[in-house]
Amino acid sequence: MRCFAFHLMPYIGLDPAYEGPAWVTVPNSLYDPGVGHQLYNRYLDELIYAEELGFDGVCVNEHHQNAYGNMPSPNLIASILARQTSRLKIAVVGNALPLYDPPTRVAEEFAMIDVISGGRLIAGMVVGGGPEYYSFSVNPSYARERFREAHDLIKKAWTEPGPFEWVGKHFRIRYVNPWPRPIQQPHPEIWIPGAGSLETFEFVARNRYSYMGIPYFRFDVFERYFSMFRDACEAEGYTADPLQAGWLVPIYVAETDEQARKEYEEHLWYFVKRLLPGITIQPPGYTSARSLASILKASGTFMLNVETWEEIIEGRYAIVGSPETVADTLVDSLSRLGTGNLLGLFQLGSLPHDLTTRNMQLFADKVMPRLRAEFPEGGPVYRPPVGVA
Amino acid sequence: MVAFTEELVDAPVGKIQLWRGGSGPQLVYLHSAGGENVNPALEQLAESFEVLVPIFPGFAESEGIEEIDGMEDAVFHLLDLWEILGLDAPPILGLSLGGWLALELATRYPERVSKMVLVNPVGLHLDEAPIAEMFGRTPGELADMLFADQSYPLAAAMHEMDAFAGDVGKETEIPLEFVLPMWKALGATARLGWDPYLHNPKLRGRLRRITAPTLIVAGAQDGLVPLVYAETFAAEIPGARLEVIEGAAHWLPFEKPDELSALVQAFLA
Repeated sequence: MRCFAFHLMPYIGLDPAYEGPAWVTVPNSLYDPGVGHQLYNRYLDELIYAEELGFDGVCVNEHHQNAYGNMPSPNLIASILARQTSRLKIAVVGNALPLYDPPTRVAEEFAMIDVISGGRLIAGMVVGGGPEYYSFSVNPSYARERFREAHDLIKKAWTEPGPFEWVGKHFRIRYVNPWPRPIQQPHPEIWIPGAGSLETFEFVARNRYSYMGIPYFRFDVFERYFSMFRDACEAEGYTADPLQAGWLVPIYVAETDEQARKEYEEHLWYFVKRLLPGITIQPPGYTSARSLASILKASGTFMLNVETWEEIIEGRYAIVGSPETVADTLVDSLSRLGTGNLLGLFQLGSLPHDLTTRNMQLFADKVMPRLRAEFPEGGPVYRPPVGVA
Repeated sequence: MVAFTEELVDAPVGKIQLWRGGSGPQLVYLHSAGGENVNPALEQLAESFEVLVPIFPGFAESEGIEEIDGMEDAVFHLLDLWEILGLDAPPILGLSLGGWLALELATRYPERVSKMVLVNPVGLHLDEAPIAEMFGRTPGELADMLFADQSYPLAAAMHEMDAFAGDVGKETEIPLEFVLPMWKALGATARLGWDPYLHNPKLRGRLRRITAPTLIVAGAQDGLVPLVYAETFAAEIPGARLEVIEGAAHWLPFEKPDELSALVQAFLA
């Protein structure tokens, strides 16, 4: 299995007097560029530290006009990481394809990162969150078909010689011929984040890509989703490889369970109460009627509804505790989900730098070796519950 | 009370749900973004007209929204419907989005509309008074814009729905049968009116082409579309007249059915 350190790059220090959503309409007068300067550089240090600690890779992602994650261009951050690290996989999870016009821009920038890094890019492609459709005014009723067409175009641009002409419904380009081309052939590993849409399971399974579960739901939702993903792969006539699935979850390790809660809890609630509100806005036409029932079923478990520490721990919204507790919980979780990629959020909410790096260090020293021993590379991860055929 | 009956007709875009009620001269009703198949004013009008209510693709049970990429497709769909229903140039009553559809037809094919009564139509953008945001609202917030009197039963019911809907993720149990029709209606509306938001930048310059006698009816308390829109339509559609009804907001046919049906009867007489 592989361990990744995921960073959202949240804004810390949101005015306590502000009570509105952290997305779309959160006034940008609340953003202090001086604070932002400190945060970006601190967060880059944390990601680069992951290489020294022996992580397999790091993950960054794209969000716009919000306090939750300050990477409107994850490609800028990834290009810095490409230069400042030498071994880590760099997963951009992902670029919100429908927001790029023309989407060959994604083919170009991803290829740049792949070439600069010597072939270490993981290319994530995502439909984009609901708030993004308000922030960009891109019509959400075309989100899925724009995503599909952009994906097809990018993949063709990477795998077939240019120049060629693209005549699609949403994009028409007379000369598709991107320079540079990616180092990894036929193309970088492709990850698709999803939040339970049936169409996404089927798309990922059909293309043999990897499905990354978008977080902040109760653990049983992920059990259901990854089971649906395995079924979608079976329907395509093959058994899913564990590396085709990834689980993204906040993780905090300290010396003891008590100390972990004491150090972590206020920062987690800053995340839940200040940064999450507004993330779930669902623009019209964005989800198919077919997927609506599945998504509504999960929506009640979304972390915004969680009020107590006990619910956080029992629902595995975050894995928090001593190295033993965290390792035990992760071994059990991964074997129930079958995910061969663990995407840990080691910085969450207002968690400061010293606690973030100590968290990463304890995880790398005491948890990661156990996970690697438990789930050797190339071996199975999913363990069907005892008594079930 | 005249009963409306439902049928499915085959249109090039797919099966279209059609509601029909009453007898007499034909009157086509084009519904709003709510996808309503009837309203209290229509029930009254069905006493003197044969009222036809085609449900637009993507709303309720009507198929074919994937074939509609904008107002040009919407207008061709209306022309197809006219052909299927044997309509040459019917009178149209349109509410909000339905009013905009009627205007797109009447500017391009003025000969296919005999008269128009447009209630709180959208379709324009005026910098000085933007149309309020209808997407991403809870039912209760929408009710505040749609109704003048929040104790009107439908408005009160929408406020009660806020416990269920709005910000998905905030609630534990969301009944699918309640969410689905609204979900479809908003998705279909987004197809036509997400960007540009509820307007066509070209429409205003084409209003001069309309030949059908036109009555614009505005709710004085409309919380979605400012009154200046109705005034602008009335000023720029040749020969159009404006009636402003007090005590009504955007969904005027629900709150003021007597007043609206009287105006329509007199205008179409």
